[in-house]
Amino acid sequence: MDSEPAPPLGKPQPVGLAAAPADAGRTEAEFVHEVYDQIAPHFSSTRYKAWPVVDQFLQGQASGSLGADVGCGNGKYMGVNPRLFLLGSDRSWGLLDITNRRGFEAMQADTLTLGYRPNRFDFALSIAVIHHLSTPERRCAAVREMVRILRPGGQLLVFVWALEQKGKRRFDQTQQDFMVPWVIPMNSVHNTLTASTTGETSNAQDAAEDSTAPVTSSTSQVFHRYYHLFREGELEQLVLNSDLASQVTVTEQGYDRDNWYVILTKREAEKSP
Amino acid sequence: MRLLTHNMLQCHVKKCTDPALNFPLQLQDIELEQVETEENEDLLLNLINKVDYNALTTTAAQLGLVGLPNAIPKDPQADPAFMTRLHEVLLETNITQGKMACRGCGHVYTIKDGIPNMLLAEHEI
Ligand SMILES: [Zn+2]
Repeated sequence: MDSEPAPPLGKPQPVGLAAAPADAGRTEAEFVHEVYDQIAPHFSSTRYKAWPVVDQFLQGQASGSLGADVGCGNGKYMGVNPRLFLLGSDRSWGLLDITNRRGFEAMQADTLTLGYRPNRFDFALSIAVIHHLSTPERRCAAVREMVRILRPGGQLLVFVWALEQKGKRRFDQTQQDFMVPWVIPMNSVHNTLTASTTGETSNAQDAAEDSTAPVTSSTSQVFHRYYHLFREGELEQLVLNSDLASQVTVTEQGYDRDNWYVILTKREAEKSP
Repeated sequence: MRLLTHNMLQCHVKKCTDPALNFPLQLQDIELEQVETEENEDLLLNLINKVDYNALTTTAAQLGLVGLPNAIPKDPQADPAFMTRLHEVLLETNITQGKMACRGCGHVYTIKDGIPNMLLAEHEI
């Protein structure tokens, strides 16, 4: 993975946007929600390996804990630790259908307003989700909503794509908002459709969200997804520079596989004066 | 969708904030399916403190599911019959099709192929 060959001619590259798009809701609907529905089976076939930090977080939760996987995709984290029980949610019906067929709890909901009762969950996951929200206010609101559903003492793990990533992709370091292509090789369409129900293929498209297959636009389908790439420290600042600073503590932070991550712990309720 | 999820959900239309009305959502036109899963004692003991037990027994009765006592036993761990019935109702009873209506604002959330749709229209957020 470290020695990636030069991208084939004509391979779609990420496109930097001079600024975040003006209409946040519409941009996310068109360049996040609709795209994930269209690419769901292929995307799912590339998502089966648990990232080590996420795996460790899940293995570290007490047996019998209740978790929320917010933006659960194909449910790849929902069965990692069978001693836990997770409720998954996502925008994409296509991905939820896969999750549900695997026997996991799947709910269609927006990450900004989940519909769960407050203070219920022992932990929550937000893996590769809030970088699809196009304003700082919306990214912060997503974290606030997950903190709301955590019980005091509950933990939230947030993963976002890093601008400084050293893997397959290099991004223009002067910008943070990008359209990132997702490529479905035409010859893989049939295979991924059948593979999506088992969630296992030999496709190597995992850690970095990139197609490794040498494809050209004439033999493949290209979709563009909106991303806000996070700079070092930005994820913690998003939390600590907001009202959330009084509700959570930052328990852990770090960099893993082209992503920044943070673990937040919800503070015990303040005694009323 | 398992009954556990139903017990965790409330109406989240912005103006619908009366806790006496926005929870529990009223189940309508429900199709059920029992799916066997392994019983997890740690999970059940944890969930006892998280679920609204009154809402659970009310909902179970509406669906014709019998066998849950009106109150949680003092020592649930020592009552294997209760633990098993709780497991069956909360974690093995799946709603495959149906609706959840809010008693506060009337919003109806649909459940299709086992997946509840909790998305709201822009004016409801
Ligand atoms: Zn309501």
